[in-house]
Amino acid sequence: MGVSVGDVAEPRTFGPVTRTDIVRYAGASGDFNPIHHDETFATAAGFPTVFSIGMYQAALLATYATDWLGAETIRRFTVRFSDQVWPGDVLTCSGRVVGIEPSEEGPTAEVELTCTRQTGATAIAATAAFVI
Amino acid sequence: MAVDTGVIGKVSGRRMVAVERSPVSVFAQAVKDGDRVYQDRRAAQAAGFSDIPAPPTFPFAMPYWGSYPELQEGLEPTGANPMWEVMGKLGPGLILHGEQEFTYHRPVVVGDVLRGEDVITDVYERESDTHVMTFIVTDTTWTDASSGDVVVVTRFNLIHRARKPT
Repeated sequence: MGVSVGDVAEPRTFGPVTRTDIVRYAGASGDFNPIHHDETFATAAGFPTVFSIGMYQAALLATYATDWLGAETIRRFTVRFSDQVWPGDVLTCSGRVVGIEPSEEGPTAEVELTCTRQTGATAIAATAAFVI
Repeated sequence: MAVDTGVIGKVSGRRMVAVERSPVSVFAQAVKDGDRVYQDRRAAQAAGFSDIPAPPTFPFAMPYWGSYPELQEGLEPTGANPMWEVMGKLGPGLILHGEQEFTYHRPVVVGDVLRGEDVITDVYERESDTHVMTFIVTDTTWTDASSGDVVVVTRFNLIHRARKPT
């Protein structure tokens, strides 16, 4: 597979995010902070409703990235959480190659990834490295 | 307010985990990853894995699944996590997950027994006009329990965000 600086991945959308998606991730990950699934708790804490688990959208972005460049070749994945994700949100993942660096295993693609909400706000910005 | 940096370098946790097939496969489904390598050992091996691999962010969740008591025997206890001691001194505030990093030395695969050791690697403060944010960075090094080789290193950046007194 030829990978070059400037390559962009076909964007993928996830969602609308449902409460069931959030609860399913809670069960798969063990994150049972009630702020993410208990409406009564979330509203009492001052939020309009429950909101998603940051690591859930981080994992969606990882799914997107490894679908593009391979599960067996990922060497680093770094995420920065920006905006909260709410039930009903439609998330769009995009990615592009910003550099090719040498490594002990051979050339490695440095990629930038973003997961944006339908509002245009960035929910997550990430970087990753893949051996190519 | 000066933040307590005396905890930098301290070991804040240790655990052993077993990586098992059902948690890995269910996690892949929950994160909408349809790659067959997470469900079918034959597909995993055809892709070059020794067994079914864990999705990239699974290491964040794996202590929840595989920290069985008999695996912990012989591990040196670390006592209270100094991260919470630092947080506890900061008073009321919002706790946020700021950043998370995974550095993979080899894939995490079903059948692995991994030893995780947490070390606080940085503590720092940033101020805006209205808030003080305290960052605590914890690195967890996961090593293969049989070979001692490093498998994956995770970096967890937790933020305490408090409004400045007016």
